[in-house]
Amino acid sequence: MIEFPRATKIHTPRIRVVGLGGAGGRVLERIIGEHLEGAAFVAMNTDANLLGESSAQERLQLGVRGVGAGGDPDVGYAATDESAATLRESFEGAELVFLCTGLGGGTGSGGAPLVANIARQCGAVVVALATLPFGFEGKLRRQQADAALAELVKQAQIVLCFENDRMGEFVAPTAPATQAFAMADTILCQAIRALASIVNGRGLFHVGLDEIVTVLRRADARCLFGHGESDSENRAVDAVDRALRSPLMNRGTSLAEARDVIVHVAAGADLSVAELGVLMGHVQRHAGGNARLHLGVASDLRLGKRLAVTVLSATGTDVPEPVRKAERKLPVPPVAAAPAPPVFESDSEQELFDELDEPESAQPAQKEGKKGKAEQMQFEPVNRGRFEKSEPTIVDGQDLDVPTFLRKGLRLH
Amino acid sequence: MPRDEIVVGLEIGTSKVCVVVGEIKSDSTIKIIGVGEAASRGVRKGEIVDFDICGKCIREAVVEAEEKSDVLIKNIYLGVTGAHMQSFNSRGTHLLPEERDEITNEDVEAVQEKARDISVSSHNTFLHTILQHYYVDAQEGVINPVGMFGKKLEADFHIIHGVASRIKNTIRCVKELDLEVEDIVFNPFASAQVVLDQQQKNIGALAIDMGGGTTGYMAYLDGAVEQSGVLGLGGDHITNDLSLGLRIPMAKAEKLKIEHGCVTIGNSEVGDVISLRDEHGFAGKEIERETLNTIIHLRVRETLELLKKRLIADNVLDMLGAGVVLTGGSSMMRGVKHLAEEVFGLPVQLTRAHNMTGNISAFENPKYSTAIGLVKYAQATFELENKGFLGSIFDWLVSGRK
Repeated sequence: MIEFPRATKIHTPRIRVVGLGGAGGRVLERIIGEHLEGAAFVAMNTDANLLGESSAQERLQLGVRGVGAGGDPDVGYAATDESAATLRESFEGAELVFLCTGLGGGTGSGGAPLVANIARQCGAVVVALATLPFGFEGKLRRQQADAALAELVKQAQIVLCFENDRMGEFVAPTAPATQAFAMADTILCQAIRALASIVNGRGLFHVGLDEIVTVLRRADARCLFGHGESDSENRAVDAVDRALRSPLMNRGTSLAEARDVIVHVAAGADLSVAELGVLMGHVQRHAGGNARLHLGVASDLRLGKRLAVTVLSATGTDVPEPVRKAERKLPVPPVAAAPAPPVFESDSEQELFDELDEPESAQPAQKEGKKGKAEQMQFEPVNRGRFEKSEPTIVDGQDLDVPTFLRKGLRLH
Repeated sequence: MPRDEIVVGLEIGTSKVCVVVGEIKSDSTIKIIGVGEAASRGVRKGEIVDFDICGKCIREAVVEAEEKSDVLIKNIYLGVTGAHMQSFNSRGTHLLPEERDEITNEDVEAVQEKARDISVSSHNTFLHTILQHYYVDAQEGVINPVGMFGKKLEADFHIIHGVASRIKNTIRCVKELDLEVEDIVFNPFASAQVVLDQQQKNIGALAIDMGGGTTGYMAYLDGAVEQSGVLGLGGDHITNDLSLGLRIPMAKAEKLKIEHGCVTIGNSEVGDVISLRDEHGFAGKEIERETLNTIIHLRVRETLELLKKRLIADNVLDMLGAGVVLTGGSSMMRGVKHLAEEVFGLPVQLTRAHNMTGNISAFENPKYSTAIGLVKYAQATFELENKGFLGSIFDWLVSGRK
C-alpha cells in the first residue's frame, strides 16, 4: 500500500477535475475552457477514440480493450478495476476531486463509484457531479443510473445530482436538444468553479474544505447548490435571488429544511459590511430561523463590480455509514479483483467520520420522509413567469410562487 | 345624512379593476346603479407594479361606471390589499381621572389610542382599529360604555396595519386621475361586510375572498372580527402553474383554467383529454384532464391549508359555528366548495353580496363582492355620522355589533 502524506504535496495541484465517460468528458471540455486555479484535468474513458479527442492534460484509458463499455455498467466497472493502479497514481496528492459523469451508461454508472472510492482512499475529498438520463433514454438506463447513484452516494462525500428531464423543462420545448445539454454542462461548470473558489479563496472569512464536508456529510451527502452573480445596484439581494433560483436549489424550498447552510460570497474590493448584512439576512429569511449559516468571504479582483454568491446546503439527515470499500450489488464479474480497503494516513480523518456518525445516528427516524423528498433534485424555471416584478411570497422558507406541483416533486406526463 | 347618497367603491384587483356605484337609500338599503370593469394590467398580487398602465385601466373602469350609472364620479372608497398587510389583537386599558367616574367619548378614544400603542414597524401605518369588546371595571358584554359609571375602561381591538409607502402609492395612483379618496379599506374587510350576515358573525364564521393575486380572509367570533389577513396567492398562481406545467402560454392557461379547470381530482377517466386549438382552429396540443386538475388541486389545497394553519395557530378554527364562506373570482372554480369542506372540515358555502337591490348581474357574481363591500362600508360610516357618534368608533358598527 502506498501512503501519501498530504502535507508534503503542496507542489502538485490540489484539485483534480475528472471527466468520466462520454458525458463527463463533455463537461470536462467545457471546464478546461475556463480558468480554474490550481486544478489538473483528467479525462477517463473506456473508449479510446473519445479519449483521443479530449484536450485534458491527463488522459486515462480504463481497461485494456479501448472499445467503450457498450452501455453495460459491469463492463465499465471491470474496466475501471483493471486500471485501478493507474488511477491511484493519478490521484496522488489530490485534496479535492471533482468527478463529473453521466449516469445511465456503461462507463459512468459502472466506473463512478469505484473511481470515487479510489480517490477517497488516496485521501481526497470527492465531489461527484452526476447527471441522470432523460426519460426517453429508456427504463434500463434509468435503473442503471439509480443503482449507480445509490452506490455513488455511499462513496463520495458530496454528490450533486442533475436530472436531465428537469433540464428539459428549463429550456423552451422547441429549443434544440444541444441547448438542453449545454445548459446542464454550464450548471455543472458553475458548481465546480464556485466550489474551487471556496477552497482556493484567501478571504476574510474562510470556509475550509473540512467545514464544507462536515456540513454536507451531515446530511446524506446529497446537497443543494445555488450560484448567482450580479452587478446591479442591489447586487447583494439580486445575487442571492439568482443563487436560490438555480436549478439545484429548489428555490429555497429545501433550504427551509436545512440545518446548515454555507454561504460563500466573492466580490471585488468594494464589498461592504452593509451588503454582507443584507445578504445574510436575505438568506436567513429563506433558510428559516433555525438554520446555521456558515459565512465565507473571499475577495476576487477579477470579478470587478460583480458580486458572486454561492449557497450550499444539504437536506435530509440520514447518513449512511461511510463506506470504505466498494461494494457492487449488480452482478459483478470476478469480484476477486475487489479494491483493497483504503488507508487513512492519519487518524484525524477517521475521527472526523466517527465524530460525524454520532449525531447522525441519533437523528429521529421521522425525518425519513423528508429525505425522500430531497432526493429528487428538481429543476425549476429560471424565469418567474407572471411574478417577475412582484415580491416573492415566502411562507416558512418556501417560495410559493414556484408551482406547487414542482415543490411537491410531482412528475407530469 | 343627505338622502339617497351616492357612493363609489373602487377595487384595483390583480385581474380586474372594478368600480361600483351605489345609492344608499334613506331606509339604509343599497341600490347598485352602475358597475364599471376593466381588465387589470400592471397589478401583481393585489399591488400596483406599473402605475402608468394601471392608471389607464382605472380610468377605463371609471368611465364605464360613469356611463352606466350616469353619475360623475369624484369621490371613491378605495380597497387595498397585499401580502404586507398584517393584523393582531390588542387590549387597551384606560383609567379614568380621580375626580370623574362617568365614561365619556374622550375615554373611548383614549382606550383605542392605548390599544394601538404597540410597537409595529415604523414603516407601517394603521388601517383599521376594529373594536371587539368593551369591559368596564372588568364587566363583560358592555356595548356602549359612554355614559356608564366606572373607574377602568378596557377594550379589545383587532388592528390591521400595512406598509405605509405601498398604501400611499396606491392612493397616489388614484389621485392622479382626479379622484378623491374618501377612505381606504382592507379588501377582505370590505367583502366580509356583504357576504356575512349578522347571525353568521355572531356564531362565528370565516369569509375567504379568493382573488386573482391574493387570498384574503376575515374570521368573526361573537360578532366581532377575531382574525384577518391576506396571502399573496391567488388565481394567478394557478394560471402560472398551468402555464409552466403544461407549457402553454399564460393566456391559454387562463382560458383552460376557466373553461375546463376543476380543483377536485380523481373524477376523470384515463385518456380523457382536452385538445387545445391553435390560432387557426386546428387541433393542437392535447392535455390530460387529470393532469390539469391535479395542478390546480395541489395549488388550491395548499392555499387553503396555509389558511387553516393560521386559524389553528390562533385557536379560531374550532369556534366557527357558521362555517366558511367563499367569495371572490377564484371561488367560481369548479369543486372549490368540495375541497374547502374537505380541508376545513366545516360546512362551506359559496356566496356573493346579498341584501342589495338594483342591477342583479352586478351583485350576483362573487367577483364583485369586494367592490360592493366598499359601498356597504361607506354606508356603515354614514350611519354612524348620522347618529352623531364620533368617527373613532364607527368601526364598531361596521364590525357588526348593534
